[in-house]
This record gives sequence, C-alpha cells and structure tokens, in this order.
Amino acid sequence: MKYVILIHSNPQPWGHPTSDYLGAHQALPAEVRDRLNAEFEQVMAELQANGELLGGEALGDPANARLYRWRDGEPLASDGPYSEAKEHLAGFFLIDVAGQARAEEVAARFSGPDETVELRPLMWPGGDDQ
Amino acid sequence: MTGSVLDDVWRREAPHVLGALLRRYGDLGDCEEALQDAAEVAAARWPVDGVPDAPRAWLITVASRRLIDRARADSARVRRETLDAAQRPYATQDLTTHDRDDTLRLFFLCCHPALTRPSQVALCLRAVAGLSVEQIAAAYLVPVRTMTQRLSRARTALRQAGARFVLPSQRDLPDRVAAVIDVCHLVFTEGYTRTSGEELLDVLLVKEAIRLVRQLHAALPDHAEVAGALALMLLTHARSPARVDAAGDLVPLAEQDRSLWRRDLITEGVELLERNLPRGHVGRFQLQAAITAVHAEAATYKETDWLQISLLYDMLGRVAPSPAVTLNHAVAVAMAHDPAAGLAVLEPLLDDPAMQRHHRLYAVRGHLLDLNGDAEDAKKQYRIAARLTASMPEQRYLNRKLAR
Repeated sequence: MKYVILIHSNPQPWGHPTSDYLGAHQALPAEVRDRLNAEFEQVMAELQANGELLGGEALGDPANARLYRWRDGEPLASDGPYSEAKEHLAGFFLIDVAGQARAEEVAARFSGPDETVELRPLMWPGGDDQ
Repeated sequence: MTGSVLDDVWRREAPHVLGALLRRYGDLGDCEEALQDAAEVAAARWPVDGVPDAPRAWLITVASRRLIDRARADSARVRRETLDAAQRPYATQDLTTHDRDDTLRLFFLCCHPALTRPSQVALCLRAVAGLSVEQIAAAYLVPVRTMTQRLSRARTALRQAGARFVLPSQRDLPDRVAAVIDVCHLVFTEGYTRTSGEELLDVLLVKEAIRLVRQLHAALPDHAEVAGALALMLLTHARSPARVDAAGDLVPLAEQDRSLWRRDLITEGVELLERNLPRGHVGRFQLQAAITAVHAEAATYKETDWLQISLLYDMLGRVAPSPAVTLNHAVAVAMAHDPAAGLAVLEPLLDDPAMQRHHRLYAVRGHLLDLNGDAEDAKKQYRIAARLTASMPEQRYLNRKLAR
C-alpha cells in the first residue's frame, strides 16, 4: 500500500534538512540531536534497502511560491506563501509498504520537535466488484 | 523471425535454464545474472543466426560460461564452488527430465519463508515467469530502482537463510505449497482489481498469475487447492469484460451485464472444480472458487442460489476465518433470508478496532440497511465508507449513492 509522508515545518532561514534550521531542534542536547539524526538516516537506509521508498523531494522556500486563484473566469497569479500558517509543506516522501501498521511505524520515525508529520494513504485506481 | 517468437522461446525456456543452473551452482543471484547475460547474447545472435535447434542447451552453455568467467575474474565467495561445479559434465538428463521438479523447486525457492510476501511476489515474477525488472516495476507502479532493490534484498535474504534449490520435506510441503498459491493469488488480485491506468499492465498480471498457477497445476496435478486456485482465477477473470463501464467506472457484481462474461473461462473453471471437489478436505481456494462458480451459473443477481452461497461462506469462515469472509457471508445471508439476519452476522465486526477503520464494513452495512428500508441510516454508513476507502472507483460509486 502506498502512502505519502508530508513534512510540515518552518525552518528559519528556510533550509534542508529542516531540523538544522529549527530552534527547538537546535536547542536539544547534542547527543539527542545526534540520535535523532542517526535514527532518520537509519530509517531512510532501511526504506531504501527494503525497496519501500518510491521517492521524495525537498521543497523550496514558500516565499518563492506562485499562487493561481480563479478570478472572473481567469487565473489570477500572486506571490506566495499560500497561507500565514505556522508551518508550511517542506517536503514529502512516497513509500510503498505492507500495510497501515508499517506506514505508521515509519512516519513516527520522521517526527521531530516543532514539526508536524502527516501520513496520508494514496488513492489507487482499482477496486473490488463484490 | 519476429520479436514475439524470440520472446516466446525465451519465456518458455528461461525457468528451465535457471533450474539447470541452480541445480549445479546454487546461488539465485549469480544464476539470474548469468541467465540475463545469456539473454543478451541470444537477443543479439538469434535474430541473425536463427533460434538454435536446442535453445535450452544453448542458453545453459552460454550462461554457464559466464558464471565460470566471472568466478575466474573475481575472488569472491562463489569462485571455488562455481569452478568445482563447472568441472562436472552435464548429464543429458540435466537438460530434459527435470522439468516438473525444477518448476516446483524454483517456486519454492522464490516463495521461501525467509522472504516477505512482496519479495516472494517480485522474485516469482522475475525468476519463474521470466518478466523483466522493468515490466514488474511498471505493473506495480513503482520506480525500477525500487523494484531492483526489492529483488536484490530478496536474493540476499535467500543467501543469508541458506536457501537451497531443493524440494521441501514432506512435513513442510503443505505450508510451502500454500505460500506459493498465495503468492500467485496476490499477483492475480493486483491485476484484477485494477480498473484504469495502463490496461495492458493489468491484464499482464492477471495472465501471468494464471500462467504461474497453470505451471504449478501441471507440476502438482493432484493438489486440490492448486486446482481450486486456478479455477478461482479463471472464474473471476471471466467477469473482467463486465466489471468496468465505458467511462472506466466500476460495475459491482449485482449490476454487471452477464452476457459479457467469458463462457470459455467459466466452463474450464467449473470443470476443474468438478474434477477436484470431491477429494476429502476442502480448502479456502476451492471454496472461494465454488462460490464464484455459483455466481457464474446464475442468470441474474437475484436468481443466484444465495442459500448455497451462504452455506459455502459459512464453511469458508470455518476453514479460513477473516473479516472479509464475514462481510460476504452477511450479504449472502441477507439475500438468502432477510436483511436483518445479514446485519446480525455483521455484529461481531463492529467491535473489531481494525474493522472500525475499514470502509467495507460500512459499505456492506449501508447496503444491508438499504435493503431493510432504512435509507437514512444507510446513507450515514455510505458516507463513512466513502471517506475511508482508498479506492477511487469505489469512492466514486459510493459518492453516487450518496448523491441520489
């Protein structure tokens, strides 16, 4: 089953890995930070070795976003960010795993202070005819 | 000579060549690589020179030479064994009489218990069915890189588990055959439940699954569950032309145009079942096939022998209990008796935490409430089902019901 793991974050300045630019993360004792980083490296290596990782991308600064809204029957362009929310979409990972339990286990390991990790199932084009 | 002739020869011979190499050299990863090299040589030479009279022997010779070259060139772990194995001349029987057992050994190796189900599936399609990594990746809608990783992970796991190219012991045999059937069935379901996207790829998986089970059936003709799995696939695949409408939307069994069902597949499936049903223990695939056969023989959804189907689901629930079986049982009971009786069958599932997030529970409950004349509560259930499902055609179907 395929899932997307969405990383909502607000690094200052915008940068990747986001944890390097998050005050709450930087405020952690060095050994905790090292452990979190090592765990992240490990889960990525594991996903890759298992053939569970389909891909992922880091996104640019939301200030660089262009937004298109429909006005009077035409697209009207403006500059981002999309919302004044505390967090923005910073990146995503696509995974293909055995089921919900495994997906939750993986997503939990992506989390860190001052970030929200969102796990969403992908819709698929098939279905049962029963 | 056309590409498809080459392809046919290749697909027919590849598992046997791999079997002959494995019997001698043992390591799946090394043998597959050598076979791949031989395939490349064949692809270059055969269109020019013609297909050799004995393509299997030709491929074995070329692949063996590659294995030996590689062992000489590198001081890796396989070197001594490979060279030792190469000293022994091939007996003629190596090339011919091992067909049946080779197929089985290859199935068992690819479905080794040290591997996860997705790895077993990928390895079977690669080594037994002879599909390319690109084809398998495309069929499962994953990048080639991901599929390559899955396959190499699987080969490493086999190596670490010390898996060998042998038949399992009598004691292990039932479980090992069950795993192989399960893998074939997973391939089938993956293809059959698709409704859109690359139609060719969906048909590819359905056809490969049937082809694999046919091979398994030829190797184990007296195994009733193998016959049952083949019958189930044929009888289910018979519905393919009717299960999607012109707009690409899913048509549920109740609304399918039965004149589109493939009679040839139904006949073959029913015959297989009749030949195998009376032999003692009845397994889950035979029961599922029997249920599908009852559907196949009904002129309309209403005229279906629902009593028979509810009895078969009751048996299936005892042989292989699962929430999915209970859900189908509930529908059959509702049709055979009355909707309230069907709703009662669902009761135990309502307390199951895993099912509380499963859309099918709510879809079935909505359907039964609808039949019971409780349109308001039915809608509530459909709404939950539509939100929970990850299937686009099912979601569209449920949303249509809500809009009514």
